[in-house]
Amino acid sequence: MDKNMIEIEGLKFSYGKDEVLRGVNLQVPEGSIFGFLGRNGAGKTTTIKLLLGLLKPNGGFCRIEGIDPQKDAIQARRIVGYMAEDQQMYGWMRVEQIVKWVASFYPGWDDKFTNHLLDMLELPRKSKVKSLSKGQNSRLALLLALGHRPKVVILDDPTLGLDPIARKEFLRYVIGLLQTNGVTVFFSSHLLYEIEPVADYVAILDKGTIIKAGRTFDWRESVRKIILNTSENNFSKIEGILDVSKMGERVALTVENCSTEKIGKIKASYGGFARETGLNLDEIFEAYVIGNRGEVSGI
Amino acid sequence: MFTIYIRIEPSSSVPIYRQIIDQIKYQVATGSLREGDKVPSVRELASNLAVNQNTILKVYNELCRENVLKIERGDGTYVSSNKQNIPSAERKKIVANVLREAVIQAIQLDVSLEQASELLKEEYEAIKSERNK
Repeated sequence: MDKNMIEIEGLKFSYGKDEVLRGVNLQVPEGSIFGFLGRNGAGKTTTIKLLLGLLKPNGGFCRIEGIDPQKDAIQARRIVGYMAEDQQMYGWMRVEQIVKWVASFYPGWDDKFTNHLLDMLELPRKSKVKSLSKGQNSRLALLLALGHRPKVVILDDPTLGLDPIARKEFLRYVIGLLQTNGVTVFFSSHLLYEIEPVADYVAILDKGTIIKAGRTFDWRESVRKIILNTSENNFSKIEGILDVSKMGERVALTVENCSTEKIGKIKASYGGFARETGLNLDEIFEAYVIGNRGEVSGI
Repeated sequence: MFTIYIRIEPSSSVPIYRQIIDQIKYQVATGSLREGDKVPSVRELASNLAVNQNTILKVYNELCRENVLKIERGDGTYVSSNKQNIPSAERKKIVANVLREAVIQAIQLDVSLEQASELLKEEYEAIKSERNK
């Protein structure tokens, strides 16, 4: 898993004066499932459009298996499967028609595989696209992204608008169909609890830069909450402090890259140690995005 | 093939791999998974739970290290231990967790400790005699 399938370096993009991406850096290892997290409007879809060569960056570059989508968009699209956010498809077409139509764009389209997928994803071949349920619609969009056997699949908020059952079903296909076959998956979402179980790596995009990227597993282990009973108000000296909140004499510190040693140091320098706990991914996300980095006013 | 029922709580601060490990151990301890039962493959369980395969791999590796599961090369993964292999402290912890709920109910419903203990004894005897049939 050493080779990177996607590399993004110093990527910048503005819509007019509005600077959407301010230098994004990302490496997506081959064969991994990579969760790309961010709030609405953080720049996730813009990053994806740049990756596909649909927009032109103001700075920096991206490569997919060494291919620059700006220079060679067609070559890039041959190895990439893409499922757009809330993908629109021609409603008047029948399922089998739209499959044929999309197939005509790809020299490497695999009819046998697509046929197998139609059965597996329980898609009614003769139905009109507009008559499909939301869940069927997203499964069809997934099929259309996979028919040419891409090495990389980019899913832009693929479960948006799906009910919890359809969402889980969709994620089952991501694991069973893509991870099993060694396909690299780049998956954007604003739902942390959805990303966590499926992703090998997670990156958070906020205000146009990556504020945290790493193995999903390490996140949970290294970000800890430490509760102290102290009248101290300033904690900005603690390395990796993400959030400080205070209720009376009780202070809750959220700290990244926590080791036993580091916790020991905090205990020694502030005293009044009450307890230490883990956080769920939503809490971690919140601490990174809107955390209060050091000083609290005494309430 | 034995299906394992696992429920993942995404909002928990307990990491997912730890949640799965705890639940498999629980099922071994309570006898719903028994020695020699075949468990799903990594791929199957991963797809079924919609959880990354590497997470399940980590779970199985850890459970093998603790002798709860064993891998038969080319054949599959089996429950290797009976509950005796799970330390007594851990088995007690599992029971204590379940009992806590019952105690809360008892206090809320004004059932005394004596009455609750009597009920526990009755239930215990009843289930034990049923299992021995």
